[in-house]
Amino acid sequence: MSAGGSRGGFLLDRLVTATALLLGVTLISFTLTVHFGPDPTWEQLGRNPTPEQIEQVRQALGQDRGFLPRYADFLLRLARLDLGHALASGEPVVDLLARAIPVSLLLLAPGFLIGIVLALALAMVAAWRPRGFVDRLCTIVSATGMSLSLVIIVIALQAVFAVWLDWFPARGWRVHDLASYLRHVTVPSLGLIVAGLGYNLRFFRSVFRNVLHDPPVRTARAYGFGDGRIAIRYVLRAAAPPILTRILVAVPLIVISGSLIIEKHFGIPGIGMVTWNAMMSGDQPVMMAVVSLSSVLFVLALSVTDLLTGLLDPKVRGA
Amino acid sequence: MFFKGLWIPIARPAVLALVSIAVIGCGRGETDAETAQKVYRHAIDGAPASLDPAHADNVYAATLVKNLFDTLYRYKYLSRPYELVPNLAEDFPEVSEDGRVYRIRLREGARFADDPAFPGGLGRAVTAADVVYSLKRHFMSETRSRGGWLWRDRIVGLESDATIRSADQSVAGLAAIDERTVRIELTEPYPQFTHTLAMALSAVVPREAVEYYGREFGVHPVGSGPFVLNRFDEAMAVLEANPGFDRGPVDLAAEGFDPQRHAGYDLEPIDGKPYPLVDRIEVHFISEPSARWTSFASDGGVDVVMVPPELAERVLESRSPLRFKPAIRERYRTLHGLEAGFVYHGFNMANPEIGHSADPVRDRKNRALRCAMRDAFDWSARNEAFYHGLGRVFPGAIPPVLAAYDPPFDDDSVTHRPRQARQRLQSAGWTADTLPPMIYGLEASIQQRQMFEQFRAWMQEAGFPPGHFQPRSFAGFGEYSRAIGQRELDFFLLGWTLSYPDAQYSLQLFYGPNAAPGANSVNYDNPEFDRLFERASTLPAGPERTALYRRLNRMIIEDCVIIGSLSRTRLYLWRPDVRMFPDREMVGGYFLRFVDVVEDRP
Repeated sequence: MSAGGSRGGFLLDRLVTATALLLGVTLISFTLTVHFGPDPTWEQLGRNPTPEQIEQVRQALGQDRGFLPRYADFLLRLARLDLGHALASGEPVVDLLARAIPVSLLLLAPGFLIGIVLALALAMVAAWRPRGFVDRLCTIVSATGMSLSLVIIVIALQAVFAVWLDWFPARGWRVHDLASYLRHVTVPSLGLIVAGLGYNLRFFRSVFRNVLHDPPVRTARAYGFGDGRIAIRYVLRAAAPPILTRILVAVPLIVISGSLIIEKHFGIPGIGMVTWNAMMSGDQPVMMAVVSLSSVLFVLALSVTDLLTGLLDPKVRGA
Repeated sequence: MFFKGLWIPIARPAVLALVSIAVIGCGRGETDAETAQKVYRHAIDGAPASLDPAHADNVYAATLVKNLFDTLYRYKYLSRPYELVPNLAEDFPEVSEDGRVYRIRLREGARFADDPAFPGGLGRAVTAADVVYSLKRHFMSETRSRGGWLWRDRIVGLESDATIRSADQSVAGLAAIDERTVRIELTEPYPQFTHTLAMALSAVVPREAVEYYGREFGVHPVGSGPFVLNRFDEAMAVLEANPGFDRGPVDLAAEGFDPQRHAGYDLEPIDGKPYPLVDRIEVHFISEPSARWTSFASDGGVDVVMVPPELAERVLESRSPLRFKPAIRERYRTLHGLEAGFVYHGFNMANPEIGHSADPVRDRKNRALRCAMRDAFDWSARNEAFYHGLGRVFPGAIPPVLAAYDPPFDDDSVTHRPRQARQRLQSAGWTADTLPPMIYGLEASIQQRQMFEQFRAWMQEAGFPPGHFQPRSFAGFGEYSRAIGQRELDFFLLGWTLSYPDAQYSLQLFYGPNAAPGANSVNYDNPEFDRLFERASTLPAGPERTALYRRLNRMIIEDCVIIGSLSRTRLYLWRPDVRMFPDREMVGGYFLRFVDVVEDRP
């Protein structure tokens, strides 16, 4: 089969998978929100509603219709990219997502990227010299990082940097230039790095240790290549598939779920806060938009992972 | 060599990505943030979902709505007890002798803020037609009003079965006589009517903006209040002074300033200055108590904090009498006061197993059961455990903040008497086998679960078997309200916040026609109570009405309809360079227009 045919097959395969996944995920989440989620009708009512008013709101929200017509209606609107309006505020869901997602990206990207880079570097050194100083340090850091809750880390960092030293704002998101961005993003990023370092370090070290025993690495060593060359050209490359999968699969979570704890605690109006509010108030249009977008992004992330893995690993490319 | 070779390929893409994100993202936010000179940073413990006045039935939305829009009346900034004062109205209403017809004249010069909703983007004068439209839209189905009940059956033409299909549809009892005069005809005297015109729900909106923004009016509010909206999201709202707002200077004496009571608050300098007094107000929505405190403790954080009970130990030297620590008094300005509301436990009186019964013998037996539970309830322990001893326990449903409160009234109904509880059960013939099981409703939170466990222990002490009360928890208040509204729960905890300072507002919780899904969540059905309530509701303030209110309160206590109640104490701290007297109770957010900050504030 030609290269073009192979690419076409890959894309078709992904499209079918994406559609199936989207249908499955939306069906499950729609069922859960309709049958087990809070009834949004009562969130929309005042203090002294009459039965007629309750019925009127139920009708306006479509709560009086059967499950299947509602689900079909949802799918049709999703196909038209019509995500509707938030029930509570009346704001178009598209506007709401467009406002909140960039904030979450700006907030979480530095901590995520720096955390990954730091964990990769430390894990490489630790794996290179097992039982060495860095390896022992990493073991302690991993155990500590995994034992501490993100809430505790956030409160401690806030107390030290925002209250005691008073270097950064305790909360809020008043970003209008690079300096203000750095001021607001530093403490949350530190929190994310500290909270995620333990898990990443442990995972990356384990991957690197396995790869270091691979025949190509042993051969490279036998040839007398330098450590840097071996680390980058052989170890990193061979370890790339599981590492890339871990990183790319985490991206949709950042984009869509944000970080509820970070956003709530620092008062940052990102997608995590939006999702939480929607869940608590039973704002179905917002919840379903978040779920649908998550599914699409997951499929995209998995596809990119497959493509990159294929590029990096000839065995996969040939399969 | 090893590290250099490793870091560059790994770190370079990350650094590039970070810089790109930072550069892309830097265009967002308030570019004019630094230009405002006087900024006050306020904090409230919840976020409003919508700023449409028709949805502003909670304190969070009301705080903002009262500053973005105008209401016809408002409460004086400093007078206590609360006193109404004309706001958008020129004067108090002219009321006909029979108390049914109100004529309200609007002040001259009030204008809606500039907005694209108006032709040419320029705001226009507020007219009587706007007042009529603003009340009428509560009865239009597309508004999904949360406040229509205030005027339903009260205004002629807005009876229960009335529906307003179009803004042009006329309503017999609502008319704009001329550009500045509104005539409102009521179905019967309603002395609290003027108070309802001070609520955020009654704020005046321009029809053009409501129609221009449609469902999005809640995030694009356009009003004639002292501020306009600059930013509104899940974390914060930013209000900026409305340049078109002109109500003359602050008259501190007219606002109820008392040199003795308000000594130390440095309010005198605002006298004679035009308001609003600050250029910008940031209202931060911070629901977590620890986060609120941290923000207040940091420089550049919020200027005020309502101290949650769990942090009271940090700031209080003594709780009785209530006194702040000297270090706190030196560092901040302080204020404490009771909330205009209360919390209580209610029974579902519609359940014949525990509430009203057609059989008089069973009815008496059920009353004994409810009274026994009330005797077993320990308000003092509840206050200590969950309100840090700062709550004020009182009998019935007329809280101490109201003029009708009856201080010498017997507190038997809020005294812990487990022995009396057991005796009541025995006398009425209740045994462990015959006691009806009850569903105890609670919101899913650790605190509410702890409250349930505490309650269950008291009931066991009084002779209720273990497992007698079945807890049923709900993820959010909406679901909890639904279960109460649909009479699924036998016993539940509720709070009630007063929207105007009149016992009628709390006694309506027991008025038969308000039964669930209405505000009468306990489904109390007592024709004598209803008759007296209806009579009291039409009386003007005075000794006769107060006596009736107190009689109604005694009726619900004698019938053991609720176990209650408790009003919480609010503790406020704010920075000394802010001149204000914060009060979110009846006054709501009105005080924000009078907040000032010192000129040389960092």
